[in-house]
Amino acid sequence: MTTNTAAVKVDGLSKAFETGAAVEGLSFEVAENEFVTLVGPSGCGKSTTLRIVAGLVSPTGGKVYLRGQEVQAPIADVGMVFQSPVLLPWRNTLSNVLFTAEMRGWGPSEYRQRALDLITLAGLDGFEKSYPHELSGGMQQRVAICRALLLNPSLLLMDEPFGALDILTREKMGFELQRIWSASRNTVIFVTHSITEAVLLSDTIIVMTARPGKLKAVILVDLPRPRDTKTLSHPRFVELAAAVRDNIEAQWVE
Amino acid sequence: MTAKRAERVRRVTETTFGFAVIILIWQYGARLAGMPEYILPLPSVIVVRFWQTLAIQLHHLSVTATTTVIGLALSLLVGIPLALSVIYIRPLKAIVLPALAAFNSIPKIAIAPLFVIWFGLGSEPKVLLAFLLGLFPVFVNSVTGLGEIEPDILDLAKLAGGTGLRIFMKVRLMNALPYITDAVKVAFPLALVGSIVGEFIGGNSGVGYLILSGQFNLDTPLVFACLLSITLFTTLAIGAVAVLERIFLRWRPSMRKR
Repeated sequence: MTTNTAAVKVDGLSKAFETGAAVEGLSFEVAENEFVTLVGPSGCGKSTTLRIVAGLVSPTGGKVYLRGQEVQAPIADVGMVFQSPVLLPWRNTLSNVLFTAEMRGWGPSEYRQRALDLITLAGLDGFEKSYPHELSGGMQQRVAICRALLLNPSLLLMDEPFGALDILTREKMGFELQRIWSASRNTVIFVTHSITEAVLLSDTIIVMTARPGKLKAVILVDLPRPRDTKTLSHPRFVELAAAVRDNIEAQWVE
Repeated sequence: MTAKRAERVRRVTETTFGFAVIILIWQYGARLAGMPEYILPLPSVIVVRFWQTLAIQLHHLSVTATTTVIGLALSLLVGIPLALSVIYIRPLKAIVLPALAAFNSIPKIAIAPLFVIWFGLGSEPKVLLAFLLGLFPVFVNSVTGLGEIEPDILDLAKLAGGTGLRIFMKVRLMNALPYITDAVKVAFPLALVGSIVGEFIGGNSGVGYLILSGQFNLDTPLVFACLLSITLFTTLAIGAVAVLERIFLRWRPSMRKR
């Protein structure tokens, strides 16, 4: 994954809050069109790292480069999905998806078709005019993903997007995300607690240590795509999942 | 749908019935007790007096209504930008909030006579009083509505390249709308209090003036008739706000269809 044209380069990143260090000396690279997942115990600074990459938070040490440019302010070419869908309650599905275009100052009319296509891709046909409160949690999160993808961002950041969903919906959303992502192949940094989710979705898994978060291991996932429910019982899948688990559990005795 | 309509009919019937019972008890109870008319007039007498003085009522009500609406409009025109300044210019918050809270602890009614000395017997002191009484709820609710935004949505807007103006128009203002309509529902009766108290202490028009002249002549039915017209006016105004809410704020949790 280390190439000269890394999409994202995180270099010796540190972030200390008043309560102590959240991230310490973290370095990794993300190649163009790569799906990278950050896995680690709770509070290991995964979300903080994501926010620093987006330019929403400034680091106390180290640097982040987006295609060679140092990130210093919020980047306007990033799609973001949070753990909660944060849809605007006064907007229907279509209008919520168009929110990012409106924020950029582009007329919704040009993006209407793309929004409708994304809504179809996400399996939300017939819900274009529904308000968030009329949708299930999984559907709301799909709207949030469509909204993040509307402008075809060069980088997509996902902060535990399925963390608030029940286990069945969560599994389904993993496959859905893979399908939606395959259509565009945006560069993705994905944060999760779920080892299954990490192995299923990623090209590369970055395992972080407990707080303060440091790099523990980098695991390349060489499973063929598209991955489906059968992949879950694939020997290589089981092997990789075990490797990720070992790296996380190794910290329990440390 | 029909079940819902039946439910609604039932509710209206119940309310109407409740009111009818109270009016009947009042009507026959007061008569039986031999209550003198200048203490507690019978509902039938009040209605007759209201009807007799309808033209005068309308004239004075229009004066009071104008004062109230102008005062309320001023509360919105000053209260919302003031809330904005507090949100966008952080240091101002430490100055404006305590100053306004301190000012709010002064009973405005108590300084009303001062306004008459300063601004005379015209409509100015009344509008000023209505404005001051309405200002605080509008300001406080606007600060909440414009300020309490999910931080994630602001981050999202920034990452999409949203400028301050776009974020204001499409996120903050929209978020504040229900808070502002709520503020209007609170500020409206307060502004009305301001207008009427203003009319009590000076001038020769408005419902407040009419109530005073009723009291002066021991014309208690007229006083009650005035209360009736004020109530009708308030109900109409609050009803109008409720209708606007039902049209534009259907997404609110309290407005959702169940």
